[in-house]
Amino acid sequence: MRRMFSSGRPHTLGARLWRLDWTLLLVVALLAGIGVGMLTSVNGGSFQPYAERHALRFLIGLGIVIAMAVTPLRLWMRLAYPAFAVGVVLLALVPLVGVEALGARRWLGIGGMTFQPSEIIKIALVAALARYYHDLGPERISRPTWVLVPLLMIAVPVMLTLRQPDLGTAVLFACCGLGLMLLAGVHWAYFTAGTIASLAAIPLALSRLHGYQRKRLEVFFDPDRDPLGAGYHITQAKIALGSGGVSGKGFMQGTQSQLDFVPEKHTDFILAILGEEWGFVGTAAVLLLFALLVTMALVAALRAESQFARLVIAGFALTVFIYAAINMAMVTGVAPVVGVPLPLISYGGTNMITLMISLGLAMSAHVHARDGLYGD
Amino acid sequence: MTDIWDEADRERALARTFTRRGLLVGLGQAAVFAGIGARLYQLQVVERGRYVPLADQNRLDVQILAPVRGRIVDSTGLVLADNEEGFRVILTPALAGDLTSVLRRLSHILPMSTEKRQQLAVRARRQSRNAPLVIASDVTFEQLAEINLLAPELPGVRTEITWKRRYCEGETMGHVVGYIGAVVKGELDADDDPVLRVPGMRTGKTGIELALEKELRGKPGTERTEVDARGRTMRALAREEPQPGRDARLTIDTRLQRKVLARLARERQAAVVALDVETGAVKVMASVPTFDPTDLAAGLSSRTWRRLVTIASRPMLNRAVSGVYPPGSTFKMITALAALHANVVTPKEHMACGGAFEFAGKTFRCWSRSGHGSVDLHRAIRESCDVYFYEIARRAGIDAIADMARHLGLGRTYPTEIALQKAGVIPDPDWKRQTLAKQWLGGETILAGIGQGYVAATPLQLAVMTARVATGRMVMPTLLQPEPDAAHEEFKSLGLEPAWLDVVRAGMAAVVNEDGGTGRGARLEDDRVRLAGKTGTSQVNRASSDRVQSEIDWAQRDHALFVAYFPYDKPRYAVAAIVEHGGGGGATAAPLVREIAETILAHDAERQSEVPPPQLPSAAPPKREG
Repeated sequence: MRRMFSSGRPHTLGARLWRLDWTLLLVVALLAGIGVGMLTSVNGGSFQPYAERHALRFLIGLGIVIAMAVTPLRLWMRLAYPAFAVGVVLLALVPLVGVEALGARRWLGIGGMTFQPSEIIKIALVAALARYYHDLGPERISRPTWVLVPLLMIAVPVMLTLRQPDLGTAVLFACCGLGLMLLAGVHWAYFTAGTIASLAAIPLALSRLHGYQRKRLEVFFDPDRDPLGAGYHITQAKIALGSGGVSGKGFMQGTQSQLDFVPEKHTDFILAILGEEWGFVGTAAVLLLFALLVTMALVAALRAESQFARLVIAGFALTVFIYAAINMAMVTGVAPVVGVPLPLISYGGTNMITLMISLGLAMSAHVHARDGLYGD
Repeated sequence: MTDIWDEADRERALARTFTRRGLLVGLGQAAVFAGIGARLYQLQVVERGRYVPLADQNRLDVQILAPVRGRIVDSTGLVLADNEEGFRVILTPALAGDLTSVLRRLSHILPMSTEKRQQLAVRARRQSRNAPLVIASDVTFEQLAEINLLAPELPGVRTEITWKRRYCEGETMGHVVGYIGAVVKGELDADDDPVLRVPGMRTGKTGIELALEKELRGKPGTERTEVDARGRTMRALAREEPQPGRDARLTIDTRLQRKVLARLARERQAAVVALDVETGAVKVMASVPTFDPTDLAAGLSSRTWRRLVTIASRPMLNRAVSGVYPPGSTFKMITALAALHANVVTPKEHMACGGAFEFAGKTFRCWSRSGHGSVDLHRAIRESCDVYFYEIARRAGIDAIADMARHLGLGRTYPTEIALQKAGVIPDPDWKRQTLAKQWLGGETILAGIGQGYVAATPLQLAVMTARVATGRMVMPTLLQPEPDAAHEEFKSLGLEPAWLDVVRAGMAAVVNEDGGTGRGARLEDDRVRLAGKTGTSQVNRASSDRVQSEIDWAQRDHALFVAYFPYDKPRYAVAAIVEHGGGGGATAAPLVREIAETILAHDAERQSEVPPPQLPSAAPPKREG
């Protein structure tokens, strides 16, 4: 079926490039730049190896974003379901033939290289849900059968990642997936019912937590219980953050980080170091940048003119929001430690690349937003 | 047209829903971020007064408290090794900031050469910055006070009370007590006790310090404190007291040991072991040259240490338990008992010794060139006739000899608190196949019969062997005094025919007390007590034993051995002695054993007339001040 009111498609490469949301990319680049700066400081002033690698990955990611953005959206639409299917299959293979490291089975190995299938799902789940709701008409959205399908699409990866165990990623899948369902228009009743049900199921969930996860929960409520063990992260992070004061101790002057008191300072707890060195001014700035990024993405989603495009861009916004919010809550001690990185700032290769691929998808939707997705 | 409008309506409916919900989601995320922002504000602005001092100044510190090492005392309660309180200075590089200037300031109080400071700086770089470094272990109280006074200028520096090992009887008990030294990497791998990682921790290396390391060490304690950036303790959180090590009480009487060593020291390289045959208690364990563990505890320069370790006379070697020698003729009792047990000879059977023995085309000579004539077992032992023993060894076979040797305590180490024992060698065809990948030869059996060839034993083993022959029981040596209320169990019987043991013993008595005996030099002056024994001369160099010993180079001379027990009628002590390169056993080792036996008897008599020994001081170490 032909759309009658499509308002001009970008035909040339130049036109597509022109349509990229460069301001959004600027915000992303700013955050990545902050990441590079922090990684330099955290490594005692040395650009290598963390800061350098981080910058390199960002540049590669940027290239991916632009390349994906200029690719017509309908290609991504066609790939959505196949990618999701492949991802689920690979994810299911992990407990069977997966590689184990650090007490978790999350990786598959091929020819000496390892990768995490859950990273594929991070992108494919958004794309698949977007495609699903793009095809589904408004009259069927809230019918039980049609609600069950996306719930299954979310539940399967969540179960599989929970078993790895990888609580952080499972939470991401659940929140992002449910958020997309909400935005797509599923009736409120489902959500209220779901909330009540999950509140009731909390005791059951608690009993099924792994030992170390339960310990994290206990320690969250009382960090002094194990000041040198699991409570150490939280206590040290709060000390580092708090001691930064309003304006911080200055670049590379963070005593807690330089004296090696804050663990995982390159990755999950990097915000604590930022807080120590740049104070409230610094952390508020980062917070505002993330808020800005999410808002800009949501606005772009609102402007998009197909359901697929809207949901794909919203998916990116939700991903950034969920990661940033959980990480910051964790570092400030209002959420238990679940091992979630701060997007664009924490060191960690797969996360950066996956996020950029998400952004690439969203950007493609934005560039081709006024495309007709059916027909030429 | 209807389709299109439906399509458009649908699209608009979806868009409207999305817009509505999108705004909601947007508000939601703004609220969450605002909440996080508020939390950040709370931590960084409102509560910063609380966190800033926490960060700058406080640190959780878990310290391991080293336990006080157990003491070592002798049989009378005389303290051989105990602990002296001392002070030491520790530096944590992570807290010191500018390490070089801190070290420089420290060197005004504690004398430190520039070289020493450089060494410390290198060590600090190599290990973790949070790991403490021992700067000086022997600090005086004045220096301690000065350091604490200047604490603000010496960040990362702290002082500690420590214990230093003190050896009270120096060279006399050097080999027996042993010494402690710094922990070696191999020990860390084998033992995961956290106290081994405390800086300055020392473990036993030889002697009782090594053998009873676990009992002497005790259990570490822990102390959790909050310290500020300077390392000053802010408050103690929890403390678990260390458990001091247990004391060890030895069976040796230092005064007796000293007297024996005084005599022994006249030889260049020699060793003596004396056992109480009823309890297996070691009464004397002496080896010369000896060393003073105090020198080692004080810390030697690496040059002095290297000299001690590489010098040819090897003073660090406890020859009594680690010196391995061919036992020579002292082995003959075993051959005799093996042959009797195998029923290949009777005590009355006479053999002809013409000075030589033909076997497999080779000639094996008796030490007496002209031979002994007609010998029975008694005479063979008395005059140590090699030919007789060649023959009965040949008849009995190596397996019988090896079995009897092991039964009498050779070829093994004893599961007891004597450190660094060597097992020696009791050869048999299996052993030769495994060790040398060669087949056993008949000639090697007959050499083994006179304690030569591959046979090798330590003085401790020879003393045990003698004790077993003297008592007919499986005597086991021990260095530890049993608990006063512990029941004393008799050693199990060897299971050998009393008649055979009697013959052998009579032969040993004849060695010392009858004409023709090779060990007449061991005969005691006091006729009331008779000593029985056996000489041994173990070849160092085959060619040289033909010549007069005094004409050969000292290092080429044969070793002189003598084993004995006394009193003959009611055995109480067994003694084994070796004088390295001492020449003939009868000439050198026998008189030595006589003097030692007389010393032991005199010492016993002295002790009988003394007041009962003083009470053992209580096992708990004195309380720490402060």
